Amino acid sequence: MDTSNPRELWEHILTQVELSISPANFNTWFRESFIVKIEDGIIYIGVPSQFFKDWFLKKFHSLLLKIAREISYEFRNIDYLVVKDERRKPAREQKPIRGAMELPLNEFYINKGDNLNPRYTFDTFVVGSFNNLAYAASQATISRPGITYNPLFIYGDTGRGKTHLIQAIGNQFKKQYPGRKVFYLTSEKFVVDYTDAVQAGTANRFKDKYRQYDLLIMDDVQFLSKKEKTQEELFHLFNALYDTNKQIIFSSDRPPVAIADIAERLKGRLASGMTIDIGEPDTESRIAIIKKKAAINGVMLSPEVVEYVATTISTSIRELEGLVNSIVCSAQVKGSAPDIAEVRQLLRSFTRPQKTISVKNVVDKVAEFYGIDENSIYEKTRRREVVRPRQVIMYILREDFRVSYPTIGAKLGDRDHTTVIHSCEKIKREIDVDTELAKEIRNIRSLLA
Amino acid sequence: MNISLEKKIFSEAVHTVARFAERKSATLPALSAVLIVAGDDGIKMRATNLETGIDFKLAGQCALEGVVALPATTLQQLASSLTSEGKVSIEQVGDTALVVSGTARSTLKTVPYEDFPTIPLPQDQQDHTFIISGAVLRTLLAQLASCASVSTVRPELASIFLSLEGGVLTAVATDSFRLAEKKVPLSNKGTQGTLLVPAKNAAEIAQALPDEEVIIRFNEHQCAFESASSVLVTRLTNAAYPDYRQIIPKEFVVEATVLRKDFETALKRTTVFSDSFQKVRLSFSTGKKQIAFYAHNTEVGESIETIPAHIDGGDLEISFNHRYLAAALPLTNTENLILSAAGIGRPLVIRGSGDTSLLYLVSPMNQ
Repeated sequence: MDTSNPRELWEHILTQVELSISPANFNTWFRESFIVKIEDGIIYIGVPSQFFKDWFLKKFHSLLLKIAREISYEFRNIDYLVVKDERRKPAREQKPIRGAMELPLNEFYINKGDNLNPRYTFDTFVVGSFNNLAYAASQATISRPGITYNPLFIYGDTGRGKTHLIQAIGNQFKKQYPGRKVFYLTSEKFVVDYTDAVQAGTANRFKDKYRQYDLLIMDDVQFLSKKEKTQEELFHLFNALYDTNKQIIFSSDRPPVAIADIAERLKGRLASGMTIDIGEPDTESRIAIIKKKAAINGVMLSPEVVEYVATTISTSIRELEGLVNSIVCSAQVKGSAPDIAEVRQLLRSFTRPQKTISVKNVVDKVAEFYGIDENSIYEKTRRREVVRPRQVIMYILREDFRVSYPTIGAKLGDRDHTTVIHSCEKIKREIDVDTELAKEIRNIRSLLA
Repeated sequence: MNISLEKKIFSEAVHTVARFAERKSATLPALSAVLIVAGDDGIKMRATNLETGIDFKLAGQCALEGVVALPATTLQQLASSLTSEGKVSIEQVGDTALVVSGTARSTLKTVPYEDFPTIPLPQDQQDHTFIISGAVLRTLLAQLASCASVSTVRPELASIFLSLEGGVLTAVATDSFRLAEKKVPLSNKGTQGTLLVPAKNAAEIAQALPDEEVIIRFNEHQCAFESASSVLVTRLTNAAYPDYRQIIPKEFVVEATVLRKDFETALKRTTVFSDSFQKVRLSFSTGKKQIAFYAHNTEVGESIETIPAHIDGGDLEISFNHRYLAAALPLTNTENLILSAAGIGRPLVIRGSGDTSLLYLVSPMNQ
């Protein structure tokens, strides 16, 4: 007999037990129990409830131990675990209630132990040119957690799939390393947890709680700005995990250097591993995403519908998902996939009205912000204090208001569109490294909002 | 063992306790028995089917201490036959028990009590606790147990989800076609926590709960309901409950307020004509300020009935299984009902007007 095979071992023990107790007793107590695992010479027996656990300890413990010892001396002890329901009963076929639609509860299971949403996996993750670097880094992280890229810092605008990616890492990690502990949380939850712990005077327990994880995933770290005490706590937590080679993953909507009001030493640590951004999804990736989402929901969309949707919504995958969901919903209600005209109708309610703003308004605000005369913007001067604001204006007009390059050029003193392109690219590049500039642009944006 | 007690107390106790004994005869005989314990701390009756258990205190005189297990069904039949006032005494003689009431003397065969399992009573100080009136909890559990799934395929849906937060007890049950959420304020705050009580067990517990305050103590696997007269325990479902709040629609396309009386009678009449899918169609009409109930059955005929309603929003036609609509009615006792629809293919929310404790969600049928 193979003593390391729980099933075989349990069968053997049961045949022995059956001989020593009455059939009624045997059927009542042993039918629904099994060996969960054998670890360090301790046999863990899974039982359905506390009733069983108490009774096993009281009545059958010595008997079971005796039988186990007879099989092999390697078994030191027996312990009893109350096991989860889903692991016990073989599922019986459910009688479907005809006609009624089910509430979509299945999608909303969140595992309490690690906070991960099982819906986010790599199977449902679409890899395209915009995120393949982030994807590759994730895979590398999973294959050698705590060593390859630690910490892994993923940033990108809202709705690009950051949360999906980092949760998928968590889920994959869980699958690949069953014994290790994963925990996912948002930085906001971390702040709340910390303040609660301080309030309740259990700061030490708080520290221990987070130090036990083998993989800690923190979403949206930019919300830590200005929370100094929490930052300090995260700093210490980071050091503790990092020193023991535990993997840490962060996500944010901007690179570490651009997160405002965050302690320098923490900033440095956030950026000390691998920092990767997820860019804007290209059209091909968007098409792939739409097809995948529709297929998951069992709806086939015609190529022109897919293409239409992909070209209309360009930046946020979340919005794309929302639209696909509403298409799926209307397909389910009507029983057939919608054609292009209907999708167009649906989309109309979906796309937000574009914010319109006059170029003059932007110029006035920016000139005021930098304290220069707004007329100098339109002039052909190349004075440094004018050139920078002018470039910022071009960047904002392009990025926030989607004004075309030639129009921007024409409105800002008849400049060539290539000049505008150059300016926008320059600011875009500098914004990632120059925190001062990033801050200025954020302030200007809030002025314009 | 030798005890004597009032007939009334005896028969009431037997009725409460015997329900917890195992009804299937194939299992351990001790499980289909009621254990009577006479000792230092008075007389107690116990029964368990390993899912739930009860430990019930009785007032009576104990002449001789001892333990005896008697078959629950026999005891039940005996107890319901006791009519007049007076006392009943139970005396253990060898492997039989002598039950004397008035001039009747019956001898019952006992069941070996060594096999009677221990009922896991909570002792741990670490457990979560809260206090609630037994009468309130009884209605809460009884009402919600009927909304939970009857299938055991998904044990979490065959359970009532209880969550304690900020002094409010929220109870939720769903069978994935409709969902009911009831909130009850607690007089004391209690600890925060969640527990999943199997619906079948909850219904049993509800029937045995006293009116007075009960202390509920629970850990990961087990929950106990303690009162002065009894302790009830149940196994808890050990599974994750879906985050149901996410399926509650936040925006509605039409909202209607109707008289409960109108709704109830119209639904009842229309139901007669519903087809094998039990389908009833509701049409919200803003212009006419009414809701039309329509059902059609090729074998029976068809029926249409309108009820006046105060309607905000656009017109909408949406069909439901009538059983799920009717199930919302016992959950609230307000005179007006508010029906809020989020659109075609999306669930309908039913609330009692002025009753914030209830939220009832019902999924529509395919058109």
